[in-house]
Amino acid sequence: MKAVHRSSFEIFSSVVSALFLREIQTRFGTKKGGYFWALFDAMLMVLIFAGLKSLVAEKSMPGIDFPVFLASGFLAFFMFKNIVNGAMGAFSANAALFNYRQVRPFDTLVSRVLVEILVSTMATLAFIGIGLYFEFNIAVKDFSMVILAVVWLVLFAFGFGLFSAVMATFFENYAKIVQVIMTPLLFISALMYTVESLPQALREIILYNPLVHFIEMIHGNFFTTLTTEYVDYSYMFFWTFIPLFAGLYLYRASEKRIIST
Amino acid sequence: MIELRHVSKYYPTDRGRKYVLENVSLRIPDGVNLGILGRNGAGKSTLLRMLGGIDFPSEGSIHSDNTFSWPMGLAGGFQGSMTGRQNVKFVCRIYGKSPGEIQKAIDYVQEFSEIGEYFDQPIKSYSSGMKSRLSFGLSLYFDFDYLIIDETLSVGDANFQNKAKTRLREKIERCNILLVSHGMAVLKELCDAGILLHEGKVYYYDDIKDAITAYTEINKPS
Repeated sequence: MKAVHRSSFEIFSSVVSALFLREIQTRFGTKKGGYFWALFDAMLMVLIFAGLKSLVAEKSMPGIDFPVFLASGFLAFFMFKNIVNGAMGAFSANAALFNYRQVRPFDTLVSRVLVEILVSTMATLAFIGIGLYFEFNIAVKDFSMVILAVVWLVLFAFGFGLFSAVMATFFENYAKIVQVIMTPLLFISALMYTVESLPQALREIILYNPLVHFIEMIHGNFFTTLTTEYVDYSYMFFWTFIPLFAGLYLYRASEKRIIST
Repeated sequence: MIELRHVSKYYPTDRGRKYVLENVSLRIPDGVNLGILGRNGAGKSTLLRMLGGIDFPSEGSIHSDNTFSWPMGLAGGFQGSMTGRQNVKFVCRIYGKSPGEIQKAIDYVQEFSEIGEYFDQPIKSYSSGMKSRLSFGLSLYFDFDYLIIDETLSVGDANFQNKAKTRLREKIERCNILLVSHGMAVLKELCDAGILLHEGKVYYYDDIKDAITAYTEINKPS
């Protein structure tokens, strides 16, 4: 009996969905508390910084519930971080699966990104639930612009993750460098403050961080009292497409080496 | 048919390239069960993986219209925290099987592997023999033009080995095999033609017996 011929898109979609289910099963399988860990990062940060803020007890953001401000930024930040880290480790974690010739490294990366999107969505829904329960003001000024910012951030994370995944395959230290950078990024990505609130000199430096623009785009469209005046869309565009195309190019050039190493 | 055109495979080392294959051109006709012989490190598994499309030549190209299995008995492709059943489902999904076909595959593998209730336990609790049984059964279920087998025919106890051999023989009625083995009896039993790998060169023999004779020859102490 001859095997049925399948188009490359049919193969791609069946492989990605199989990998997706597999990731979900291992992540949220029994006894692992996967659901809890999906929330943990962002929740911890919101609690810490909201707590610190209440100790200082200054009211620098009138009309904004500070925990909501924190949550909206940190959820986006951790989504970015988890997509990049997940994508970066996708090839090495799934190397054994490349023995099945349908499974291409790119598929493992796509399925991991999809899993992270799902996890972030669940975390966001849980936060909305918590916000409603404690009667925070979670009204959104421009919902569609917030969604656009998040989708754009996913694209940025995907491109950067793809680029990083290829780099990490060939340079052992690359993944370590990216992971080391992620921690200070937490403090310089306009997550606990607005760009507006910074002194001029600091403002100019911090705007070199592309994540600041994404976070400001989310905050500025979320809260009626904030604006997006510091968001540079062409800068965001640059940071989205350069890694994406560099990543795609490098991946195409080295796919066979990734499979056979 | 499988065709190798000027295929070289080398690995970079500190002292230049280490060649596994050097400028090999070869045609393997359809309908032939092929045994691959050679000393340890001669590149048998590498050649097998390249024929199966999961490794690639450094230079030259390999052409074939046939479908190839994954290396039979492969246990590394299983996810330890998932059960045997879940892993079988995963492989079926990769191959785009419908839910009905997946159920058939599960029934077949469950019956063949004889691992009882372990089938619904995480793979990491399996012994290596149990893992091989599961993976062997899974490979037998799928239909390919070529089955790729790398030294995995000695799985389990005598009883299981007999069963595995019987099923494999039935399978060979419908497809061909590419077999790497050091077991001359197995090679003679299952293969028609043979390839001998020696010092970067490939020698093709229409009769597996000639390949075995040549292999014995190079292993003679000189």
